[in-house]
Amino acid sequence: MTLWRSLRSIPSWIVPLCAGVVVLLLPVLGLDFSTGRQIQLACILALLVSGLNLSHGYAGELALGQAAMYAAGAYTAGLLSKAGHTDILLQFVLAAAVALVVGLVSGIPGLRLGGWSLAMTSFFLVLLVPDILAVFAEWTGGRNGLSGVMPPTLLGADLAGDAYYWVVAGVTLAWFAIMRNLIVSRHGVAFRVLKKSPVLASSMGISVFRMKLLAYAVGAVPAGLAGALFVNLDLYVSPEAFGFVTAVTVLAASILGGSASVYGALLGAAIMQFGPNQASEFQEYALVFTGVFLIAGGVLLKGGLAGLCRRLVSRLDRAAGVTTAARNVSADVPDIAGATLAIDGVSKTFGGNQALKGVSLAARPGKVTALIGPNGSGKTTLLNMVCGFYRTDSGTITIGDTALQGLPPHRVARAGVARTFQTPNIPEGVTVLEAVSSGRYSGHRASVFSAILRLPGFRRVRTDDLVEAERALALVGMSDLRDAEATSLPLGMRRLLEVARALAARPGVLLLDEVASGLDEDEVERLAGLVRRIREAGGTIVLVEHNFRLVLDLADEIVVLAHGSVIATGPPEVIERNPRVLSEYLGIDGESAEGRAKVAELTGGGEITGTGESA
Amino acid sequence: MTLIWGGLALGAVYALVAIGYNIVFISSKTFNFAQAQLMMVGTFVAYTGLVTLRLPVFVVALMAVAAVFLVAAIEERVAIRPVKEPEAVLVTTLGASMLLDGVTQLIWGPQPLTVPFFGSDDVMSLFGGQVYPVEIALILLTVVIVVALSLLARRTLLGLALLGMAEDREAAMLRGVNVRRLAFGAFAFTGALAGLLGLFVGPKTFAVATLGASLALKGFVVVAIGGFGSIPGTLVGGVIVGLVEALAARYLGSEYANISVFAVLVVILMARPSGLFVRTQERTV
Repeated sequence: MTLWRSLRSIPSWIVPLCAGVVVLLLPVLGLDFSTGRQIQLACILALLVSGLNLSHGYAGELALGQAAMYAAGAYTAGLLSKAGHTDILLQFVLAAAVALVVGLVSGIPGLRLGGWSLAMTSFFLVLLVPDILAVFAEWTGGRNGLSGVMPPTLLGADLAGDAYYWVVAGVTLAWFAIMRNLIVSRHGVAFRVLKKSPVLASSMGISVFRMKLLAYAVGAVPAGLAGALFVNLDLYVSPEAFGFVTAVTVLAASILGGSASVYGALLGAAIMQFGPNQASEFQEYALVFTGVFLIAGGVLLKGGLAGLCRRLVSRLDRAAGVTTAARNVSADVPDIAGATLAIDGVSKTFGGNQALKGVSLAARPGKVTALIGPNGSGKTTLLNMVCGFYRTDSGTITIGDTALQGLPPHRVARAGVARTFQTPNIPEGVTVLEAVSSGRYSGHRASVFSAILRLPGFRRVRTDDLVEAERALALVGMSDLRDAEATSLPLGMRRLLEVARALAARPGVLLLDEVASGLDEDEVERLAGLVRRIREAGGTIVLVEHNFRLVLDLADEIVVLAHGSVIATGPPEVIERNPRVLSEYLGIDGESAEGRAKVAELTGGGEITGTGESA
Repeated sequence: MTLIWGGLALGAVYALVAIGYNIVFISSKTFNFAQAQLMMVGTFVAYTGLVTLRLPVFVVALMAVAAVFLVAAIEERVAIRPVKEPEAVLVTTLGASMLLDGVTQLIWGPQPLTVPFFGSDDVMSLFGGQVYPVEIALILLTVVIVVALSLLARRTLLGLALLGMAEDREAAMLRGVNVRRLAFGAFAFTGALAGLLGLFVGPKTFAVATLGASLALKGFVVVAIGGFGSIPGTLVGGVIVGLVEALAARYLGSEYANISVFAVLVVILMARPSGLFVRTQERTV
């Protein structure tokens, strides 16, 4: 166990780096030709799988066009070589560029479609590769394949035997370093936010459109590189190398290795290369063998081999008592520049159902504005209109001087609107701290490029992200959970996590949608205290809430919605005596003695937060 | 017109695969990659029964139904039920499809086998085009199955239970629907249906071990065009895919057949992301 503790104290990227160096050194230690070739093919496959992992495992886009991008890279490099441009670096650049174009084109349907339809169209594209090559048979050699490819060179020096092995292994090592840097950065978390839900992503200011394009584009690069490496390995390509079997092998390797992992691609590729692909010696049993292998792998491995390793590591961690100490951070609410949210005459109809009729309200900085009303009165619809998920039929919504109506959700979020969800919406596979810091993704930017190279700009933003996220976590009293898996938290904690995430963005307007439901008394108290402190710090808070006592206790102004219209607006002491509110919202006849007693029971005491100072 | 008949019959075969996909999708929200392979096994059993053993059609039909029913039942138990993650079902059913490809190749060999149609193999003339009786049978059969399944879904308790299950599994469970058994039943039923259809599909496509792979994708295109879970959609999707493929192959050249189908698919999906017969919901938070 001590051994394990000291192992865990070295940075985790050392292990794959050492493995990579060993693979690089293999030719020196004496490597026979066929094993060397298998390793090179496994590296090429791993590059393909890695691209798929990025777009599918992380961004959640089941785009299976890897084999088509692979073909694009291979034919680009092959044609360059035939034209006399044998320098491998030039081929890499152009092959990656062409693959990127193919990746973007094959991803276009995915901008409109999701899930199966995207999987379908991208997979179909793969099966079209031979047909497309046949159409351009003049250049590509059609079904006969492209022959006459010249041996590759690097800056004028010939690459043969071991030298080419080093190029293949080196490119693979470099790509996985890039991939690792990207995934552990804030962009990796943003991809997982997109995978969890496009609605969540856009409400956090992440442009779904751009994020998807980024996933397709970055995922295409390794496929292009793999293509260039492949054509220079055999100096020949034919359409058969890019067919159904390749596409299926890539998918299987991805899932066996663990699609939401960086190094799983290497494991999966190695297994597929040294496992089923070897079985081609017994050609007639190859399909049977692969089939059994895939069924067994899919049934037995949850989260792939990487998932297995991860569970093993966390079990050993628990056994050895490895923990990361929570840093001591101040739990002060930072100054928040609240902005005035003004909603004026907003209406919305769904089909024949008038959900909102000329609703107006204003939420001001340093105030808590509560929105109450029976189920179906239009509260959440109104929030969704503010956030840009629905278009307004008429009326205006502004934050400060910016008009929000008509803006797409991610632009609304960037204008300073942050929200929580009725059902907590938290990405999988990230820690509590990462989930909270993702709230800062769009407000404080660092490019993908600087994340991959770890430039100073990226490091600065990352440090700020950590500080702000830890502060937000401390505010909701969850600092001790910073390294827990975010989705494993109980409901109440997940709600508070969402509040922390929204707070980390330092929003001009904070929308809390039924945030107290499912919280225990202690948590409600913590939440109420936090809301008051945000108000004192100058934040603008809109609270949609069913807990009437909490609302009376916290709100400076209450807006009551019924049947899509505002029926009353005013401070709590006025609203709690409004007969119409009582009958609509509480179902109580305010005039009768019995009703008055009930009101007293419901509103009296303010036990939940003790003092009832806000009234 | 000959071309149209050929295209429609081809579309009918694709639609039949698509119906299988849809039934499984409705009942268990999973996708059975091996659906077309089940039909392929049906064509091989039909060959063995009709040509090798020279059994009467009725007996062969029973044999095919029983055999493919069994294969589907085993597939559900081994490759679908024990799988915990939805995306891993992709891999396991893919594995099942490759396994079936491999096994049929071992048993029946890689050469295409001619399955005779039990009706008649004589070309006939209809609306000014040449057409085989089996092609007419395929088209009629597809229409009949679609109509029957649509009626079944709306008029019987079993159909309603299936639709309820598709809408909300937990709610169906609470209403006393045995979700697991129903899902298993629906899956095995698609197997039995695929076995029966083998008798009709075989004469059109030959019994060949690569049949599954070539039908699987087109079946999927039909589902995507018609909409996931829409049985009537498969009919329209089948007509579109079959005709586009036949016409493109004839007038543009065989290498353009798939490219044209792909173009049509992309255009339709861009206009209606969830297919022609499934309405997109306005998104909610």
